[in-house]
Amino acid sequence: MPTEDRATLERLLRETGAGDAQAFQTLYRLSSARLFGVCVRMLRDRDEAEEVLQEIYTTVWRRAASFDPALAAPQTWLVALARNKAIDRLRQRREATLEDAAALDDVIDDRPGPSADAETQEGYRRLHDCLDALDPKHANSVREAFFSGATYMELATRLTVPLGTMKSWIRRALIQLRSCLETG
Amino acid sequence: MTPLEPDDRELRYAEYVLGVLDARERAAVERESAERPDAAAAIDAWSQRLSPLAAEIAPLEPPARVWDAIRRRLRLDERTRVAPRAAHAGLWENLRFWHWLGLGSAAISATAIAVLLAVILRRPTPPPIPYMAATIVQADHRIGWTATMDIAHSRMIVIPGVPRRLSAGRAPELWLIPQAGRPIPVGMISDSAAVTIELPASLVARLGPTAALAVSAEPVGGSPTGRPTGPVIGTGAIGAAASAPTSPATAATRPESPPGSRAA
Repeated sequence: MPTEDRATLERLLRETGAGDAQAFQTLYRLSSARLFGVCVRMLRDRDEAEEVLQEIYTTVWRRAASFDPALAAPQTWLVALARNKAIDRLRQRREATLEDAAALDDVIDDRPGPSADAETQEGYRRLHDCLDALDPKHANSVREAFFSGATYMELATRLTVPLGTMKSWIRRALIQLRSCLETG
Repeated sequence: MTPLEPDDRELRYAEYVLGVLDARERAAVERESAERPDAAAAIDAWSQRLSPLAAEIAPLEPPARVWDAIRRRLRLDERTRVAPRAAHAGLWENLRFWHWLGLGSAAISATAIAVLLAVILRRPTPPPIPYMAATIVQADHRIGWTATMDIAHSRMIVIPGVPRRLSAGRAPELWLIPQAGRPIPVGMISDSAAVTIELPASLVARLGPTAALAVSAEPVGGSPTGRPTGPVIGTGAIGAAASAPTSPATAATRPESPPGSRAA
């Protein structure tokens, strides 16, 4: 995937917001592999991930005009939108089968993608360091939550801890992450 | 449930972004985010903090059929072939341009906009671009503002006509009044300049001929409660601006709308 630098994505989002179908296509070409990776990872079902990816870009087309580069990096905006759509889809599924994490390893590896731009790399490095500073149990719960989109209840079941314990691990982790990222 | 303390609320937004809330809790946070700028800002901040973790997921090229489906769904081909975007962008820019020209803004009533749109939309461009308009009329029967809603891009431009002068420390705030339910804050508008407001999807979904717009006088930063606290300055029904001039559609059904607000 070509380098997705921030300025390029900002320009493409702006042009997409003005109704430029060509810019939208380029934006899709530059960003869809990253977002599809997120969808497959969270939904663990390629067909469903394809449907959600369609929803994501339909929303990008309609909402691009509301993207404000002063408020968010374009990568962040796109990833947040993608995760939200994937999580919404997960919540619609009543019978979520979240157990077979192993099957997923065939599809995806967990190394950072080679194409992440410098800005994302910097954000990632800081977040990674802050996660490393947490109690490993707490950090794992946060990662598991982020990558699976599972609810507290599902996480507690999966990691076999009481619901209250799971909530307090994650809440504590979030508070510590915030202060770590602020000082970092 | 007891009301949440600010810290709990902040944590709630973090949990929303992380994705651990259930469907009902998510919907509640999304409503807050649509109604309260501070909630939306806190959610943005948490997205900024947590989203970089997605870098751990290796990119995966989607099959070509996904893009094909998106193109069909959004009718992008028709758009690029027969509906060059310049025409639409031009229209939007036109609305602002008129205003800056100093053309009497009251003259740009919903009627004028509707006629203009009808002319443009009657060109052989198959996908109709959904625009809606509302003329906000005050107690003195003068037009306070005209609002045009660009549904495809989720935005609204609000152009002042002859708005009533407000007392010091008060500013006009725009509300969407659904057929049922309480007013939804849309944004602060100006009595002297055109304002473009980006609309969240939840709000766009509620625009339609059964809804109306209203303007109330609020503290300068907006209503502190999320509901109108000051006097209502004007109201106007929402009409489908894209309907043909002969269509009986839209805005004249509400008693407070003068004939001039009829969109057709």
